[in-house]
Amino acid sequence: MSDLPIIETPVEAEAPTREQERSPGTMTRWITAVVLLALVLIFPFIARPIFPSYNYVMQLGIVVLMWIAMSSSWNIIGGFAGYISLGHAVFYAIGGYVSGMILIHWGVSPFLTAPLAGLVAVAFGIAAGLITLRTRGPAFIISTIAMLFLTLLFLDNWEFVGGTDGVNLPLAPFPAAWLKVPFYYAMALAAIGSVYLSYRVAHSKFGLGLRAISQDETKAEVAGINTRGYKVAAFALSAFFIGFVGGIWGYTLTYLRPVAFLAIAIAARMVLMAIIGGRGTVAGPVVGAVLIFAVDEFAVRQFGETSLNIVVVGLLLLIALLFFPQGIVGSLRQSGKLPAFLDWD
Amino acid sequence: MSLLEVNDVVAGYGAGPDILTGVSVTIDEGTSYCIVGPNGAGKSTLLRAIVGILEPRSGDIEFQGKKVNGLRPDQMLEAGVCFVPQDPSLFPTMTVKENLMMGGYLVRDRELLRKRLDLVYEAFPALADRHSQSAGTLSGGEQQMVALGRSLMIEPKVLMIDEPSLGLAPMIADLIFERIRGFGALGITVVLVEQNAVKGLQSADWGIVLDLGSKEFEGPADGILADPRIRELYLGKQLARKEHLL
Amino acid sequence: MIDLVQVLILGLLLGGVYALMASGLTLLFGVMRIVNLAHAALILIAAYITFVLFDSLALDPIVAVLITMPVMFGLGVGLYLLLFPRIEGTHRYVEMTVLLTFGLALIVEGLLAFIFTGIFRQTRPDYVMDAIVIPIGEDQLFIPTGQLYAMVVSLVLLAGLWAFLQLTRTGRAIRATTQNRAAAQIVGINVRRVSALAFGVGLALAGASGSLVSFIFPFFPSKHWQWIALMLALIVLGGMGSIKGAVLGALILAVASAFVQDAFGATWSPIAFYLALFLILLVRPQGLFGAKLRL
Repeated sequence: MSDLPIIETPVEAEAPTREQERSPGTMTRWITAVVLLALVLIFPFIARPIFPSYNYVMQLGIVVLMWIAMSSSWNIIGGFAGYISLGHAVFYAIGGYVSGMILIHWGVSPFLTAPLAGLVAVAFGIAAGLITLRTRGPAFIISTIAMLFLTLLFLDNWEFVGGTDGVNLPLAPFPAAWLKVPFYYAMALAAIGSVYLSYRVAHSKFGLGLRAISQDETKAEVAGINTRGYKVAAFALSAFFIGFVGGIWGYTLTYLRPVAFLAIAIAARMVLMAIIGGRGTVAGPVVGAVLIFAVDEFAVRQFGETSLNIVVVGLLLLIALLFFPQGIVGSLRQSGKLPAFLDWD
Repeated sequence: MSLLEVNDVVAGYGAGPDILTGVSVTIDEGTSYCIVGPNGAGKSTLLRAIVGILEPRSGDIEFQGKKVNGLRPDQMLEAGVCFVPQDPSLFPTMTVKENLMMGGYLVRDRELLRKRLDLVYEAFPALADRHSQSAGTLSGGEQQMVALGRSLMIEPKVLMIDEPSLGLAPMIADLIFERIRGFGALGITVVLVEQNAVKGLQSADWGIVLDLGSKEFEGPADGILADPRIRELYLGKQLARKEHLL
Repeated sequence: MIDLVQVLILGLLLGGVYALMASGLTLLFGVMRIVNLAHAALILIAAYITFVLFDSLALDPIVAVLITMPVMFGLGVGLYLLLFPRIEGTHRYVEMTVLLTFGLALIVEGLLAFIFTGIFRQTRPDYVMDAIVIPIGEDQLFIPTGQLYAMVVSLVLLAGLWAFLQLTRTGRAIRATTQNRAAAQIVGINVRRVSALAFGVGLALAGASGSLVSFIFPFFPSKHWQWIALMLALIVLGGMGSIKGAVLGALILAVASAFVQDAFGATWSPIAFYLALFLILLVRPQGLFGAKLRL
């Protein structure tokens, strides 16, 4: 052996290892996350000197972050599991009323009770889920609409919460100049939380199971997945942040009225945002929320607060369903053109 | 001029792979055909492409000299190309008679329809007995008879039948094949697709062998039956050789 | 006792109109497996058209049926061709129809609200004020003429629908298409044309019921959510796709809701509809969307 010549062979460039191959994507995700997080957190301070109508701009931020939280949450049951709920605004109402009523009767700030509101919403989600998830497909969708209207009618007729006229809530005890800022951060917390939750679900065994259910429920059952448990869990999980933001939103409005939370347009918007952004993806609902929010704002500027707004929602829903059923992120992914910063799945 | 010409047709379902990979077939009037081949060869797909249920991705289909790619099944039917699919596709809550009359949907002449109905009852006496029975309650063989009878109501020029004997007891399958053999006398050019190569080829004049989406070979039906290549195709080369050695 | 009979009669009279309202919905499902969440909103369009005609031309709502039916028929054919061929054959088609028609319902509601605002509307032809009085012993039974006429018209139209489906060539084609779409194609039926026609017929029925409903109930743009819950509950009860079932379900639900309203007051009526829908969906979760059109 020792008399064999030592041959110097040129070392060829090795094919990238799995770790290396993954890291551009993971790196991009990290960078995107950090950048977005930083932007969101610093925004209130940057905006102060730039925008003269500070509170208005902050309100916009509050609204868009709220919708991000709601559509990302909805996506857990509607996108990952494929069960389309048109009644998810119910959790919004529960959150609003729980926090609002606690504020009125015990003076505890919704900023503290919002998580509790979220948990109450989850509890309701489990109960309602056990019932509605006995149906599938089109029957399920219709049962969630029934759930929405039953809740609306119930609250409209419940005197304790003021029925149709609702109740007024005390103003938040913050100085007028910075009034919106705490609300902004609360919504930001919810948005970040729900997107993170969505990300974790997508990359978990639970998420895999949900996707299996969405593809072919019978096969998933046969493969040993506890489909009923998974579905109810997804339904309940999707309720938390919606309840949370509901609690905060009531406080923003300074009043609670059933129709403020349970208008069919609200439930429809949640669904539309997830669909147009990309159902079943992590980035999709965020993209959809921002997009629809922008369209809504534009519509309000053009047409004012009229009923033409729900015409726009309906029209966009039709267009999304007919031409982009995969949503923006979904379609981009399918044609292989998804930019890395949107690829969170 | 041949009745039906399929030229180098490529076709598949939805966004899936090509099932037909460039198949060319010529159907002449007055001859009866049987298309055989192993599973997945594209036999049913070929019929569906011809009748318009499936649109070819490339290639041409010509009927009586005119290009018919992309025509709808009802348009093909009006032209005279009738398709009887694998699953009899009856109207379950309508009676046998109503089903047969639906076969004549495109025929406006009531007298003509009556005459043809009598013809169908002659060919399939069992249907005459059950004419007011609900089609959903018929046996497999009877349903197949209704499907075939229904196609006779418009007196097609070409009748394409997909696996008529599927799921039927041998005796009933024999009866069906016997009737199919009789269609030629009515001036109908029959194109049969059969998994059961023996029975199918025995009921036709000409055989066409498909594999992997294109034509392997063709010839007189009895010749194909005896051809060792058929065994190879169905059983695979190894098994066929083994069987031969035995 | 007489009160119960009175409530029963009121229920039955309404049942006829509910049946007409639901017949279009069940036809759409039977022929094309479309769950039309916008059906009630489309009924509202006809109601508003009738209202405008009554208000400006003093046109009797029942006569307006002659206008709303063809107008809605045309709208139906147009909507069908615009929306549905694209999604035919897709995975989860029925769900897609629910979402699509949901979007349509939003659009219709928004447009109606924009044009007519949320004010409660109702047409008031003279016969709405009258009732036929039947003395029974010492008591009296009132049969409101408005509702009576509406029921008669509904029954006539339903009979016409039956005749159309049973006796005409196109009717046969529609029935065949609902029973087995593939087979219908094979016997030479142009299923797309038949589907568009069926959609048109379904909306024509909605149109007629809209004209009738315009003088029976006060209506406003978001009223349709109440009606669609009722209609869905009713046809699920009677069997999706079955017209006979729709009539039966309509009578049952109408009588039941009449009793509920009598016992608990008007606010409970819509709640009862949604509860009924909820319960029915639960009790028969599978298999209820599997029926084909039967007469």
